[in-house]
Amino acid sequence: MGNTTDKVKILTAFEGMPNSRALSTYTSKGGYDALKKVLKMQPAQIIEEVKQSGLRGRGGAGFPTGLKWSFVPQNLPGPRYLVCNNDEGEPGTFKDRYIAELSPHMIVEGMVIAAKAIGACKGYIYTRYEFFEEIHWLETAIKEAYQAGFLGKNIQGSGFDFDLDHYTGAGAYICGEETGLISSLEGKKGQPKLKPPFPAVSGYLGRPTVVNNTETFAAVPWIMTNGAAAYKAIGTEKSPGTKLFSIAGAIKKPGVYELPLGYSFEKLLNDDCGGMLPGRTLKACIPGGASAPVLTPEELKGLTLDYEAIAAKGSMLGSGAVMIIDDRQSMVELMKVIADFYHHESCGQCTPCREGTGWLANIMGGIWEKQGAESDVDRMWTVAKQMGGRTICALSDAAAMPTMAITKKFGDEIREYIRRGTSA
Amino acid sequence: MSDKVSFKINGESVTVPKGTTVMQAAQQMKIAIPHFCWHPGLSVAGVCRFCLVKVEGRPKLEIACNLQAVDGMEIRTDTEEVKDAHKWALEFHLINHPLDCPICDQAGECGLQNYYMSVGKYQSQMDRPKVLKPKALDVGGDLVLDTERCILCSRCVRFEKEVTKTDALGIFDRGDHAIIGTYPGKKISHNYTTNLVDICPVGAFTSKDFRFKQRVWFLEEKPSTCAGCSTGCQVDVFGKEQTGTYYRLKPREGEANGHWMCDYGRGTYRHLNQEERQRFAFVNDRGSRRDVDFNEAIAVLAKKLKHTKADDVAILVSAQYTNEEYEALFDFFVGKIGVKKVYQWREPTEKLSDFDGLLLRGDRNANTAGLLAAMKLHKVGGDKPMNQHEDVAKSGAKLVIALVPEIPTGFPSLKTHLLGLSELEFVSFWSVNGLIDDLKQARHVIPLKGFAEKRGTFTNHAGKDGHLTTPFNCPVPDARCIVETVSALAEVYSRAH
Amino acid sequence: MAIKKVAPPPVDANGFAAAWGYFTTIMTGMSFTAKTLFLQLTGREKTNTLEWPEQPATYGPRFKGKHFLTLRDDGNVRCTACFLCATNCPAQCIHIEAGQHPENEIEKYPVRFEIDILRCVFCGYCEEACPVDAIRLGPEYAMAGLAEEKWVYTKDYLAQRGELRGGITSVKDENEKHPITDKAHPKEAEIHSYVRHGHH
Repeated sequence: MGNTTDKVKILTAFEGMPNSRALSTYTSKGGYDALKKVLKMQPAQIIEEVKQSGLRGRGGAGFPTGLKWSFVPQNLPGPRYLVCNNDEGEPGTFKDRYIAELSPHMIVEGMVIAAKAIGACKGYIYTRYEFFEEIHWLETAIKEAYQAGFLGKNIQGSGFDFDLDHYTGAGAYICGEETGLISSLEGKKGQPKLKPPFPAVSGYLGRPTVVNNTETFAAVPWIMTNGAAAYKAIGTEKSPGTKLFSIAGAIKKPGVYELPLGYSFEKLLNDDCGGMLPGRTLKACIPGGASAPVLTPEELKGLTLDYEAIAAKGSMLGSGAVMIIDDRQSMVELMKVIADFYHHESCGQCTPCREGTGWLANIMGGIWEKQGAESDVDRMWTVAKQMGGRTICALSDAAAMPTMAITKKFGDEIREYIRRGTSA
Repeated sequence: MSDKVSFKINGESVTVPKGTTVMQAAQQMKIAIPHFCWHPGLSVAGVCRFCLVKVEGRPKLEIACNLQAVDGMEIRTDTEEVKDAHKWALEFHLINHPLDCPICDQAGECGLQNYYMSVGKYQSQMDRPKVLKPKALDVGGDLVLDTERCILCSRCVRFEKEVTKTDALGIFDRGDHAIIGTYPGKKISHNYTTNLVDICPVGAFTSKDFRFKQRVWFLEEKPSTCAGCSTGCQVDVFGKEQTGTYYRLKPREGEANGHWMCDYGRGTYRHLNQEERQRFAFVNDRGSRRDVDFNEAIAVLAKKLKHTKADDVAILVSAQYTNEEYEALFDFFVGKIGVKKVYQWREPTEKLSDFDGLLLRGDRNANTAGLLAAMKLHKVGGDKPMNQHEDVAKSGAKLVIALVPEIPTGFPSLKTHLLGLSELEFVSFWSVNGLIDDLKQARHVIPLKGFAEKRGTFTNHAGKDGHLTTPFNCPVPDARCIVETVSALAEVYSRAH
Repeated sequence: MAIKKVAPPPVDANGFAAAWGYFTTIMTGMSFTAKTLFLQLTGREKTNTLEWPEQPATYGPRFKGKHFLTLRDDGNVRCTACFLCATNCPAQCIHIEAGQHPENEIEKYPVRFEIDILRCVFCGYCEEACPVDAIRLGPEYAMAGLAEEKWVYTKDYLAQRGELRGGITSVKDENEKHPITDKAHPKEAEIHSYVRHGHH
């Protein structure tokens, strides 16, 4: 279980509470009060409130949530859809499942509020195939919410109808990309769709659709209860609120931490996580899941954990998966794992990604099998450079960014491996 | 708001209707933006990522095929950044390509080869083993599939989905192991399979019919109109004049057919080749066949014509010849000689109204409308197809000029009718195909030029003209078109006594 | 062979003097011939004439003589019927008819491969155009014959004629069809040794 500092508990409010997943526990602590309040509001007011709060998408890209909701055409007749992206596939990330484990009703409530805001009639929670227990918990929560009248026809007598269903794909990283997820939800092969048109205009079944991350939805009830100003007061100017960080690596206390954005990395590592394991030193850190470029200890000095600060260092906050890499970890192996992962997960639609991820894995395989040449390191950088920003979705960039960072910052280690056939 | 937008490509201004993509505008302006997956007859897939262009003021390169033109937009396709992107896009397409051009029928008209010459990187950095995939698969229809050559542009999948709506093809597996294939238990079977060969920008789909027959760079390509049915698709005929061989027909973009063409129509080059062709004129007196040259055949016919009363002459005309030929024919026989008995030669079972919904029509004659118009103009014949040899026999004609349908595949009962006709008193067969050649009773045969070897006009079902503009040299030396045959006949006839 | 300078015939108008001049010159030449004949017949001087065909003539390794088609390890002709030699041939003397090989892996092969040797100009462009080292111009230069049909060399003759002693296997195998790096290339020397293998 995570070891949350007790700064502000928004997403992890039910941590340590017995039977925290039950509807009774949730309502006893003010759960669904936000929904009751929202049902009396106008959609535009809700969207405005979320906009004011500065809430940004927690899936990785950090797009302002209120703005995303406002893109849905309000006067278009016919159904609109809402989808919760619970396909937590980014390597190193294990935060969404924690919310589902802790308080699935928080997700359900956030979704009903969002549905009210965009006028959606039907919602889906799209959960990763491998999350067997979480799927059970979410389905139970949906059933409870239906029974309590928080879902279905005429929610709480307000006249607002919203159905929520649960859906599971076959377990693919690409289905965590919003249009890939929509394709999968439609029963098709999980492949991202060409944009434009954007999902807000033409998404699930060609209808306006909003897809948000689980953590984003979970933050919505608190914002509606406590107000946008209270949320904006937490974190930094441009990155308000709290964020779940899933921290792993050779540290004393790995786990999920809810921290206000802008929290000091060094404080997190040394105080909250208890520092490195004895005898290990910090070699590098991936701050936002496998697709975020790796940062060296020099770059990590004085780093704060928010979208802007990490972007300024050339990496990204992403999903908030902080991977601590210690001196015993071979960067060659890390690079190989990353290359193989993206090679395996590329959907194969766009050429630069399909061929590029394969090429990177191919070169890396050669290095790993001690058939590499020193020029391979630069070649990987060049190939990755050409893969970036050229494809329908961001998987290609997700493969390119860490490759460029590792080959640039740890190229000497890989070259040494190629020369000597072993890691330094 | 105006429904037009003005923008610039490479500094050149253009005004296009709203909703036009940069790719479409560039095509109009003849600015080449390299592309694989985009096809004007299909939806936009945006997967090859080749048509990258620079939009001034935007950070990333964008794909032209899915980029709608906006007022004031400035597009550049000629900057170093764009050129470099094109090089690399092609390089990504090529790294796992088997490069088996020597045995690939597409070589010579291959997108990968052409772009390699125009935007290629030349120095490949790929030195690892390539991904191997299944080759030479029979996927039904006229198709051989090589998944290794495939660049996964998905044109074929979209064609199956959008044009023929048969949905037999899909992309299976993912990443660089993704392959095109048919769904389990399914084969591609419709009348439009060879279009997949045309739209495939590489050699993944090749034609069984054309397989290994000839390298495309040896072929001459001449625009023509398909003579297979009354749709009148615009086509290119591919042949080799040196050997007098025809190899294939391909659709050319046109009003009548859009981008496509049916497999039936593609087969209508076969009767033009030597083995199926009427290669000599011959006359047959009392069972002794004698090959003669064109002039002698004409002399025999002119003499016969001179000694037959106009009322005893009948002409039986197929609807597969050109308007110009009908004009010459009727002008001489009806106008000058005064022949009254004119019959149409169409398959009696065919229904003019039949239509497969895409291109192929039940009326397997390219020029039914033209024939009917010519007959109307000369006030002869009925407008119904006759039960040919019996009706002609009943008419009591002593001399029959029979213009045999050019393309035998559309006439299942052609042989029966030829046999029936050849038993009449004196029938002069004018024929392109060689079905008549082995009929012992045939009295008089003149070879004709095929549709690819003459100039002229077909009028299609909608009344639109399709032109035969660029003839091949006819491999049969004695063959003439009907205009030439009739004018030679008229010349000899006027001198005969 | 030494070259001897002789005096030019006198150019005066005297007919006899002119004739004498010619006579002495001819005699000088004849005496040289007679001397050489004598020396060589008696074996005192080595003759430079080759007694062909009893004595074989050898040409340099780059001689372009009669064509042959190389074989795969399994004995099939290596040619894939790509028509590049026919395309490149300035004399248009190569006629190929391609077909589907019964083994699907080979796919394309020449059903017919004919060279009209009377048209051939022995330029070697076919050899240069070939992407799979399937056609080479060998060292054979004696191609006399009588019947007309012999002048069109068939596939079997090009690949399996007696002089080739069972055919010549090319070093290129399928795995090396598209060598990309230096690593994959066979050593240059290796290629040359194979190229000349079986020629003499």
